[in-house]
Amino acid sequence: MIEINGVAKAFGGVKALRNVNLQIKAGEIHALLGENGAGKSTLMKILSGALERDNGTIHIDGEPVHYKTTQGAREKGIGMIYQEFSLVPALTVAENIFLHQLKKKTLINYKQLQQDAAKIIHDIGFNLDVRKPVYQLSVAQQQVVEIAKALTADVKVLILDEPSAVLGPAEIVHLFATLRKLRDRGVALIYISHHLEELFELCDRVTILKDGRSGETFNIAGTSRDQLVAAMLGRSLNTMFPDRNHITHPENALNYQFDNISLFQKTPVNFNLKAGEILGIGGLVGSGRTELLRTIFGADSQSKKSVIAGSEKLTLKNPKISILEGFGMVPEDRKKHGGLLSLSIRENISLANLHQIANKFGFIDAGRERSVVNELVNRLQIKLGSVNDPLSSLSGGNQQKVILAKWLNINANVLLIDEPTRGVDVGARAEIYQIIHELASEGLAIIMVSSDWEELMGLSDRILVMREGQITIDLPRKDFEEETLIRYAIGAHQTNA
Amino acid sequence: MTTIKQKFIEYNTLIIFIGMIILSACLSNSFFTANNLSNLLRQVAPVGIISFGMLLVILTGGIDLSVGSIVAAMGVGFALLSYEIYFPWAFLLTLVISAGIGMLSGYLIAYQKIAPFIATLALMTIVRGLGYLFSKGAPVNIGHHSAALLNLGAGDIFGIPYAGIILLVIFALMFVVLKYNVFGRIVMAIGSNEEAVRLSGINVSKYKFFVYVIIGLLSGLAALLMVSRTGVGSPNIGIGMELDVIAAVVIGGASLSGGKGSIVNTLLGVLILGMIGNVMNLLDITSYLQQVIKGVIILLAVVFQRYQK
Repeated sequence: MIEINGVAKAFGGVKALRNVNLQIKAGEIHALLGENGAGKSTLMKILSGALERDNGTIHIDGEPVHYKTTQGAREKGIGMIYQEFSLVPALTVAENIFLHQLKKKTLINYKQLQQDAAKIIHDIGFNLDVRKPVYQLSVAQQQVVEIAKALTADVKVLILDEPSAVLGPAEIVHLFATLRKLRDRGVALIYISHHLEELFELCDRVTILKDGRSGETFNIAGTSRDQLVAAMLGRSLNTMFPDRNHITHPENALNYQFDNISLFQKTPVNFNLKAGEILGIGGLVGSGRTELLRTIFGADSQSKKSVIAGSEKLTLKNPKISILEGFGMVPEDRKKHGGLLSLSIRENISLANLHQIANKFGFIDAGRERSVVNELVNRLQIKLGSVNDPLSSLSGGNQQKVILAKWLNINANVLLIDEPTRGVDVGARAEIYQIIHELASEGLAIIMVSSDWEELMGLSDRILVMREGQITIDLPRKDFEEETLIRYAIGAHQTNA
Repeated sequence: MTTIKQKFIEYNTLIIFIGMIILSACLSNSFFTANNLSNLLRQVAPVGIISFGMLLVILTGGIDLSVGSIVAAMGVGFALLSYEIYFPWAFLLTLVISAGIGMLSGYLIAYQKIAPFIATLALMTIVRGLGYLFSKGAPVNIGHHSAALLNLGAGDIFGIPYAGIILLVIFALMFVVLKYNVFGRIVMAIGSNEEAVRLSGINVSKYKFFVYVIIGLLSGLAALLMVSRTGVGSPNIGIGMELDVIAAVVIGGASLSGGKGSIVNTLLGVLILGMIGNVMNLLDITSYLQQVIKGVIILLAVVFQRYQK
């Protein structure tokens, strides 16, 4: 159906794709699996016409194809669904679906347009009012529109880039049903995802992409999770987490007492944390996890709380004071709150530390800055070309390491980490776990919020579960059990009690 | 191949600048005379000085529309003061008041969170109106014992006008601050991601406040240079000057959304804009046509930069 042979692409000196060979049959869902930086998105951009390949051939139905634009790719029957939707919120479903064709017309027959749109939606098994503006739809429904839009051309190959990332569990079920219908109609689907579970549920075959080369192709049936991870990383899954089973905290470790933290104007919560401890915080989105971290850090004004380190009372009323007291926060949304994407890696790492590397007139000691930054880059093994490259040039995992480096640079004693591995691929994830583990071993107290139970259980010494601004349970490591945690997160413990 | 292209992008303001020099020299024989170049430097100095302040403002993601009004009102202000007090004091007081106007913008924007466009639009109108009120709408001659000041605007040393020297000194100061000082680093960082900077323990409001104080102060200095050239404080000058200033910064490749821009390219932008006016004067092109051509060239410069990306 679609056959890719020897495709290569370089950006300057960087070889993003070295040699990719892929064969995807009509009527199959074919997963592409690889770490960030393995070349997945470059390959997808080449297939969808957003980039031109340097080398190699692409055949569709045995016919060699050359196109240089996404429009060209569409004409050859290749459709692409991006992670971020390309819909116009104010226009209706029908208008969005036929947006490409609309510009060719002077007058629009809305009745016809709506009928055609409804038919496409119906064909992929959904019911939607096509006269509704897109902004009134749920994210899952928007995705249906996005798929329908791709299907207005005669699509032979449909590429989906992490389509489930924005969806809830129920919506994913719908999405999968749609994709299976398309497969049964003979469309070849290329599915990109970090979630191994999904691949087992949905896909027929999976090809590993590593360092810009296509590796082994597996039939999903008869392949295990560990086999895939091993093929992708060259190591197995249970080595992801450092061993924290035998960690003991000395009696005299500095104790941090957090009291009277009121979230959503509800009954205040209290808990403690010891130096050297990793305290995991779980709970559903909106349970107050992020707000808890922000309140401790003083990120929002007028937040009330009491923080006592040992016997000393700390007033962490704004980020500046919190940082002086040795607190650092790695925010949940790296792009919005954590990193300065357009500034250099060096400038990002020294941002919280500027006054220590500058003299009293504010002039920065460039030599000192360079040596401090280089030391941190080595310590955290941040993979980069030059520390002067913009932060945006790094993969998600390495960006996260840069943010961590910023806080190590101020010699933080307490690190508040919100979603340590969001948007970070499997390989870099293991490295970040190792870093967090080592920091705790060096005596840092760490509070880690995560939506990933596996991650919480793998790394934490204790887990607090939150629900509606309250702590519903405080579990020690020996009692970790996913089912228990989830029960407390969704409130099921109350009905049982 | 790619590296040549990258260099081309990096230096595109410089390329436009050199292109303008060659074009100007070809179009007019008198362009490359010492007299004309000295004149050019004198002409661009006020816009240039303010542009450096505007670069800081734009780097933080802001804008300041009040600069032309400050130039007019402070020119009038200085002329009136020159009758009342010893002129160096009048000089200083003018700068202090200009900085005060900048403080007001800075306060409204940094602490009252009013959009920079709106806050400075209001101040632009208010300050312009005050200039008219105090001058009763007519130009004010400066007091005769301030005549020594005329030398500052019109005089030169070894053929380099004082105004040009002041421009270059401020350029050098800004260059150092942006490249080596914490202040410059943080101004750049704020434009890149304000919230991340705040969460890194930096008092963002303080820095935003100060960039407006600086541009106010520099506008006052520009006003003094202009008064000292003509000996008259006129409430009518500087109309649309804020647009020239913004144009110079944008030709210099700065992004109006903040976080990206360079002081060297801003100076080049100022000189490019100045040369356009200068060479058209030499060619005796009417000022109406000049405006049209200037606008087209600004557009071309920005499109050229966009095309490079």
